[in-house]
Amino acid sequence: MKLYIALTIASLKMYFRNKQALFWALFFPLLVMVIFGLMNFEGFNSPDVGVHDAANNDASRALIEILRGESGEEVLSVSVGTPEEILHDLEFGGSRAAIMIPENFGVQGEFAELKVTYDERYPQERMVISTVLGQVTDALFKELAGVPDEYRVENTIGISESLIEGQGQGFKGWLIPGIAAMAIMQTGLFTVVFTLVRFKSQGVLRRLKATPIGASHFLAGQLTTKAIVVVLQTYVLVIVGAVVLGVGIGGGRAGAWFDLTVMALLGGALFIAMGLAISGWAKNEETAAPVANIISMPMMFLSGIFFPLSIMPDWLTRWSQYLPLTFLADGMRAITVEGAALTTLGSELLGLGAWIVVAFAVATKMFRWE
Amino acid sequence: MTSTIDPVIVARDLRKTYGDIKAVDGISFEVKRGEVFGMLGPNGAGKTTTVEILEGMRDADSGDAIINGINVKDDPRGVKSIIGVQLQQNAFFDNLRLAEIIDLYAKLYEAKVDPIELLSRVGLEARKNGKYAQLSGGQKQRLSIAVALVNDPVILFLDEPTTGLDPQARRQLWALVRDIRSNGSTIMLTTHYMEEAEELCDRIAVVEDGKIIALDTPGNLIDQLLATGFRPEKRIREATLDDVFLNLTGRDLRD
Repeated sequence: MKLYIALTIASLKMYFRNKQALFWALFFPLLVMVIFGLMNFEGFNSPDVGVHDAANNDASRALIEILRGESGEEVLSVSVGTPEEILHDLEFGGSRAAIMIPENFGVQGEFAELKVTYDERYPQERMVISTVLGQVTDALFKELAGVPDEYRVENTIGISESLIEGQGQGFKGWLIPGIAAMAIMQTGLFTVVFTLVRFKSQGVLRRLKATPIGASHFLAGQLTTKAIVVVLQTYVLVIVGAVVLGVGIGGGRAGAWFDLTVMALLGGALFIAMGLAISGWAKNEETAAPVANIISMPMMFLSGIFFPLSIMPDWLTRWSQYLPLTFLADGMRAITVEGAALTTLGSELLGLGAWIVVAFAVATKMFRWE
Repeated sequence: MTSTIDPVIVARDLRKTYGDIKAVDGISFEVKRGEVFGMLGPNGAGKTTTVEILEGMRDADSGDAIINGINVKDDPRGVKSIIGVQLQQNAFFDNLRLAEIIDLYAKLYEAKVDPIELLSRVGLEARKNGKYAQLSGGQKQRLSIAVALVNDPVILFLDEPTTGLDPQARRQLWALVRDIRSNGSTIMLTTHYMEEAEELCDRIAVVEDGKIIALDTPGNLIDQLLATGFRPEKRIREATLDDVFLNLTGRDLRD
């Protein structure tokens, strides 16, 4: 134990004296976070709406199709989900309206009522969505009923509107936990890969193997250091985000910090294991770097770090929702933005856990000392 | 170092094969306590593999390596804790100071040392706060010897300690080896420099193709050769070019 602590302290010293590692672990994500946070991309997109389709027939599918906009020009950014999901999104700033399509939608002769809920904090978007819905349902009804355009008949599609007050913190609040998750990935993958591959190629690990203790203790100290770094890094990013961008954390719940720490450690374990697998396999830095990049780069864009997954095509998000970074970013976001407790994040924890098992299995199989 | 087991190294019919290559092909020898024993041979002769088997870094296919009475394959950790090792390629951490490196390795051997004292023993006291990457080739080798001494080893293994060093650095290292030897340590070294073997070693094993082809004191080996009627092609001059270089640049410890 004494030895383990001594080794951890030594490797902490090594880490914090390594200016490059510090830059990538701390300053780079901070920079990205502040720049993106200040740019505030919210205004650029077509409004996000969530739709629950209880009817699931030709008529309702046609409605969703039209809402999405035809021939590539997006009218509304539509994501389909359960009533709980879409209301949850609305409440926490993930969308601007939740639209419930009733079961009898499109059934001949029946009056179907679309229930639409808006976030009252965004009146402009509410206007846009409301107008679009009105026009679209009118056109759709006429088309379905085969009524010529010039006739005026009473529409059997009704719209009822209601308001809630959302509690999300906008793009900034959404961005911070994502960047923190990304920083965990970068630290886990890159600092592990670069230090270990260098130690391996230079023969540092071989020299350690000649000691009675062996290199595994040393490795344990190194990994502990990375875990400590990952947690510190998360705190710094979240705190700076809160101060500079003015975002609250976990709705003021004290337990959020504990939950955040657990999430950071899980994410750290996952990406450290991935780093171990790569550094076990790679002979030198030249072969290790591209592999680490191939793994991390797509995740940076497919895991909803800078932009919500809802703006991506469905065929892509169907897969990207299972990426390790997606689970981590979603989990951290739920804790910081929605004030969710760790115990409610079953699917994220399960997803992370599964990936951790896979990554450690691969790492133990791949790792070589020389 | 209270143990009096002698010979302190026993190698008995060591064999190690890599694919079709017999790297070590039945090597046997003994090293007495306090001796400087040299293994001499061209690159790829099997010197390093033999040494690594003795150090517990590599398993032999067959044969026994017994260090201070401990069979290496029974207790590699026990062997590692009483020997000092300088590998052919040594590397230490970039972001630690020299004194911190010594301290860390002392902990790995569960030994207590004064890092500064050890550094001064190898002439690196002035660099105690320096970094490994900033050291010259000779300084790096001396640091790795200092690291090998943290556990006050019964035997010090030096694998090609002066390869790639300039003549001055080589002489400094020789002086250091003699100093360590005078403190009672047994030293086993490999080299492909004849001059080095002659300068430092009490006995020499000449290795080729994984086998020992000659084993004796340097003096005896030369006498045996001369007894066969051998005469060098050129009369050897009193001084060598090495000496000229040293005379011009100074023999003192220069960093």
